[in-house]
Amino acid sequence: MASLGSSSSSATEYTVRVPKNTTKKYSIMAFNAGDKVNCSTWTQARMERDMSARRMYGEEEMPEGAAGSEFGKKQREEARRKKFGIVTREFKVEDQPWILKVNGKAGKRFKGQKKGGVTENASYYIFTQCPDGAFEAFPVHGWYNFTPLAKHRTLTAEEAEEEWGRRNKVVNHFSIMLQRRLREQERGEEEEDETEKAGKKKKKKGGGRGGDLRIHDLEDDLDMSSDDSDSSMGEDGEGKSKAKKEKEAKGKAKKKKRKSSENEAMEDSDDGDYEGLEVDYMSDESSSEEEPEKAKPSKGEEHPKGIDEASESEEESEEEKQNEEEAKEEDEEEDGKKTPVQMEKKKKKDSSGESDSSDDSDIEGEAASALFMVKKRTPPKRGGGRGSGGSSRTGSRPGTPSIDSAATSNTLRAAANKLEQGKRQPQGPGTDTPAAKRLKMEPSSQSPAPSGKSTPQPQSGKSTPSSSDVQLTEEAVRRYLIRKPMTTKDLLKKFQTKRTGLSSEQTVNVLAQILKRLNPERKNVNDKMHFYLTE
Amino acid sequence: MSDKAEVNLSGIKQSQGVWLVKVPKYLSQQWNKATEKEKVGKLTIEKKQGKAEVCFSLDEQLTTLSSLGEKGTSLQVPRDHPFTMHTVGGQTLAVFTQNDTDEISLEGMVVQRAECRPAVSDSYMKLKKLQIEESTKPQRLSQQLEKAVTTIFKPVANHTVNVKYEKKKKLEGKMVRAERQVVLDKLFSAFERHQYYNIKDLVDITKQPVSYLKEILREIGVYNTRGAHKSTWELKPEYRHYQSAEEEEAMKTA
Repeated sequence: MASLGSSSSSATEYTVRVPKNTTKKYSIMAFNAGDKVNCSTWTQARMERDMSARRMYGEEEMPEGAAGSEFGKKQREEARRKKFGIVTREFKVEDQPWILKVNGKAGKRFKGQKKGGVTENASYYIFTQCPDGAFEAFPVHGWYNFTPLAKHRTLTAEEAEEEWGRRNKVVNHFSIMLQRRLREQERGEEEEDETEKAGKKKKKKGGGRGGDLRIHDLEDDLDMSSDDSDSSMGEDGEGKSKAKKEKEAKGKAKKKKRKSSENEAMEDSDDGDYEGLEVDYMSDESSSEEEPEKAKPSKGEEHPKGIDEASESEEESEEEKQNEEEAKEEDEEEDGKKTPVQMEKKKKKDSSGESDSSDDSDIEGEAASALFMVKKRTPPKRGGGRGSGGSSRTGSRPGTPSIDSAATSNTLRAAANKLEQGKRQPQGPGTDTPAAKRLKMEPSSQSPAPSGKSTPQPQSGKSTPSSSDVQLTEEAVRRYLIRKPMTTKDLLKKFQTKRTGLSSEQTVNVLAQILKRLNPERKNVNDKMHFYLTE
Repeated sequence: MSDKAEVNLSGIKQSQGVWLVKVPKYLSQQWNKATEKEKVGKLTIEKKQGKAEVCFSLDEQLTTLSSLGEKGTSLQVPRDHPFTMHTVGGQTLAVFTQNDTDEISLEGMVVQRAECRPAVSDSYMKLKKLQIEESTKPQRLSQQLEKAVTTIFKPVANHTVNVKYEKKKKLEGKMVRAERQVVLDKLFSAFERHQYYNIKDLVDITKQPVSYLKEILREIGVYNTRGAHKSTWELKPEYRHYQSAEEEEAMKTA
């Protein structure tokens, strides 16, 4: 460094070097002055690329090989894209935004987007002064504009549109986000089985739909719960004080399973009645009510149910308990699955056509529904707070199917055992849960069945349990015929070739022999010949 | 290729601040030609009546611009470049670096922004003229041909492509019906690899005449007329043993 002691003005000269061998690539991190970012206050920082755009460029992957894939799919897709001139831009890692997290979990987060066109016409250099006084110049490779990310909950585009549509009705805009947060929190608490924190305005809203799904799949109740919350949302617009009152009312609405009609009446009458009323936060009433409720998350939702439903829900809660123990977060989504499962079961049973034969299909149904549970995921709509939950859920997917199938296989086995026992006690109490389930689910499945009698149903229900290997014996046929008159067709259905291991011809022959031996009485019902035996 | 997340903040603690300087393209090109010594020039900072004046003067050796195309004219790049200083008002600028190993470290904060301008001189004007001429040249040129192209589209008895195709077909010969069992085996192994197949693809794989193949397929498979996999063949449900990935895992763990 040569410093010239020049004339009046002091001038200093520094050499400028442009290092060649540097492996480092320099980039600019630009913050808006208004964000008041002071890098010296950072104790710890983590920065990585935001790869979330990779999904868009990756296209949805069809299963490679085996199930669901098609021969030559990729080539066909490529050809199609070329034909239409669709040019997909490459996913360049270099151009992806950065995610900067400062000071750990509780600190700030920034997103740095690359600014284009920086290096096109002019180059930027970073001049640093070295200890020896000379300047070193490094070229800048990229410029990233960092913007702070909001930590608070924000509305997505769809939600924003929704709220926009309601702007004329809603008066209290402040509580919009508050309500959403509360709702989310409530769902989160339900899933984690935590006891609710009393005190703050953390009342529950609208019945906790997860809980509803879990318990019963009766359409009415589902509708009611949604109606409740909708009506309560509408009422939101009538003042903060009213909001407090509503929350309490909604808290009550959640327990509508117990006192449904009462509360609904209350909700309706709420309209406009309490406007402007200054009400203290009724902490004791609501929180105490809600805490015991919280304490029984899955069990004992005493919604209107008969004995059948009771036994059914027992089994359900059994399954649920198993699931909950092993997968806390997956609770709700499994519950959501329960409805498709039950729907599947229903469908299966309806299609079988007879309560007796629904035995076999019951087990098949359960097996099928186990498979469906694995495949079908009914993702419930969630706010942003659940986003991470959702992603972690998919991340733990390998875990859950095993849980599901394990749980269902357990119940399958349990069901099979029960059925075996039931078979041995032909007069056993009709508490076989699958049998009971069948009863409830198939009140009218007797369409082709000739018996106009409805009473034999409970009997037949309980003593039908057949294990998976049915023997075409005289004993079995006798049992069937004693119970109720059947046509030959029905009998054949009972002894399906798959079950007995005989071919259809053989089955026919053996059945004919047995019938000859038994010599049952005949009667004509609906133009069909029915056989029956009296004990 | 993942970037290590942790940012090295040591640089920013010590650094007094750096300058961000905008440099014209030709100058940065010259700098890239710098020799081993890496010295490209010198920076003169004067304090005149309170204001700081910064001027950069390029080294002697780097002033010769090797211009392409025209011989004999070696332009001189101007030597003096005063810097225009700016404040870093509206933005907080920091500098970070990335290693080859994708380690990120924060080097420092920008305290001063500057623009390097050339001192206007004749040589600079000439240089600019040259640049403009180059940039106005179109990238694609139309070229006039003296003679029309006559090598394509001559009438031909049979196109070469067709000839090749026919020869290939002749070599292969007609598709012979193989044993039913053999064909079934081929089909089953094909369906092990993918679930849905087009009839054409199956013909390709099995080398069987279409009607025969269809007969066999009707026996073991089903034709999808609608849905995601339209007009494809797949095995009948009883012949299928597909396990999705999840079920396989479930099987493993259960």
